[in-house]
Amino acid sequence: MESMIYAENLRKEFKKIIKEPGLKGSVKSLFHPKKEIVKAVDGISFEVPKGEILGFIGPNGAGKSTVIKMLTGILMPTSGMCRINGKIPQEDRKNYVREIGVVFGQRTQLWWDLALRETYAVLKEIYQVPDDQYQKRMAFLNEVLELDSFITSPVRTLSLGQRMRADIAASLLHSPKVLFLDEPTIGLDVVVKDNIRNAIMKINKEEGTTVILTTHDLADIELLCERIVMIDKGKKVFDGGLSELKRNFGDVRTLEFELVNAPDFKLLDYHRRFHLTEDELSAERDGSLARVRFDTAEVSVEDVISYTLSTVHVKDLNIKGVEIEEIIKRLYRREVSL
Amino acid sequence: MKRYLRLHRIFVVQYLKKLMEYKVDFLLGAIGLLITQAIQILFLGIIFSQIPSLIGYTFPQILFIYGFSLIPKSLDHLLTDNLWMVGYRIVRKGEFDKYLTRPINTLFHVISENFCVDAFGEMLSCILLLGYSVPQLDLPFHWYTIPLALVAVVFATLIYTSLKIMTAAIAFWTKASGHIIHMLYMVNDFSKYPVTIYNKAVQTIITYVIPFAFTAYFPASYFLTGKDPLFCIGGTVIAGTVMFTLAVFVWNRGLRAYESAGS
Repeated sequence: MESMIYAENLRKEFKKIIKEPGLKGSVKSLFHPKKEIVKAVDGISFEVPKGEILGFIGPNGAGKSTVIKMLTGILMPTSGMCRINGKIPQEDRKNYVREIGVVFGQRTQLWWDLALRETYAVLKEIYQVPDDQYQKRMAFLNEVLELDSFITSPVRTLSLGQRMRADIAASLLHSPKVLFLDEPTIGLDVVVKDNIRNAIMKINKEEGTTVILTTHDLADIELLCERIVMIDKGKKVFDGGLSELKRNFGDVRTLEFELVNAPDFKLLDYHRRFHLTEDELSAERDGSLARVRFDTAEVSVEDVISYTLSTVHVKDLNIKGVEIEEIIKRLYRREVSL
Repeated sequence: MKRYLRLHRIFVVQYLKKLMEYKVDFLLGAIGLLITQAIQILFLGIIFSQIPSLIGYTFPQILFIYGFSLIPKSLDHLLTDNLWMVGYRIVRKGEFDKYLTRPINTLFHVISENFCVDAFGEMLSCILLLGYSVPQLDLPFHWYTIPLALVAVVFATLIYTSLKIMTAAIAFWTKASGHIIHMLYMVNDFSKYPVTIYNKAVQTIITYVIPFAFTAYFPASYFLTGKDPLFCIGGTVIAGTVMFTLAVFVWNRGLRAYESAGS
């Protein structure tokens, strides 16, 4: 079976005019523009099977949004091609967008001055959703995204959390087969994030909607995504499952020991004991807490605990979850090579 | 087509609701508009009281041409004002993304999102000018005069709109083109008066390059004299068709060059 999303060697270049600082520089560049070609996306290929939720991650400016904009038909690739739901976005835009939903977290697609309900009524006409289906759909979206309390308010008066839920509902009104979410949880509080994640999960489960989401919140990734694609400087640097990422790049854990005697901290010398460098293991004191962070490929959790317990008196022990965030931070900083 | 008409009605209704949403703004806008129009009409009266005739055209004839020029201008203003925003803001800020993710024609979508009630002021001037001048003129009238007038108005409006589409679409390459649209609007002032008062170069430009002469002078002179229907009305139809075809072409090329904005 063909993949829902298929991208082959996508590239996007932008011409950029380099300006020298100040008004003088601006005037100069008006007459003698210095042009530079920026490769925002530099040959990215990947596939997404139907019904999968794919996490698209990378540091700011890596080219995530540019890829999403090419996939949604907003931008024309400089070269390469993509086919989604059997269609090429740039060739058959109107028919293609009928079956996709798009949310840009940073920018609303709702009508700023209209009551939310009016926005949905207009979208219903644009996407030609039949009346009975529209009623059912609104009831469903109301239930999962809890729109009831603000559906009669003008969009401009909504809080960010309400607006984001409203935007996601708008993108789902016409029951799209593919949903593109560009930073859907940016700037939201924990409760709203949770609500949005549940909604995405529910849509994906019940309707088999394929989802691509970009995010900087790795909890989104851990809770929603079966697979991630990581890009950096326009190139793909990782493509695989979360467990694969952990296996490949080491499993970083943090242990916190609450010491009976805080000064005992100096008795702990993990580096000497396990022959590790500062990069492989870091230990720091925070009040009466000794916080030890290490790579399980180098030393086991068991060894660290037994050494600590045998060296100092410990009141309490806390094992932090697997820190995928740590792996990704290291990847962004290029501390681990690929 | 039917679907687009229906959508257009929905957009207009929503736009009117939006106007009502800001009551004070709407009220002040309406008052300002009335004042502006009153001053404009007064100003026209002063100008034309100084020029009783202009190279063979009588005062009522000049008023008729002026009034006729306001019909396509005000219609275009009423229906397609959002193109200004394409030139000034929508492309530069990346807001155009929205239109590209909707399953309807982008040009239609952008245009129909706004409904510029300011244009009713121009329409008022237009009615006053024509209402004053027509009874004083002995216009030739046949059964086909009204249908021809409708055709002329539709295609003259199309000339306006097409030129605006083309200049707005320049923003897809340059990010902003508001000032270019503005320049175009300066040029259209030439069309309010008989083109024969200008020198050859200006005449050629506003007839064959930026065919503003077909938005007012040529069709209006046909209705004044009944002469040259083929050139005056046929020319308007051809200019409107050619310009619109060109505008759609430029717009579609622009879409391919659109670069969005960072987020």
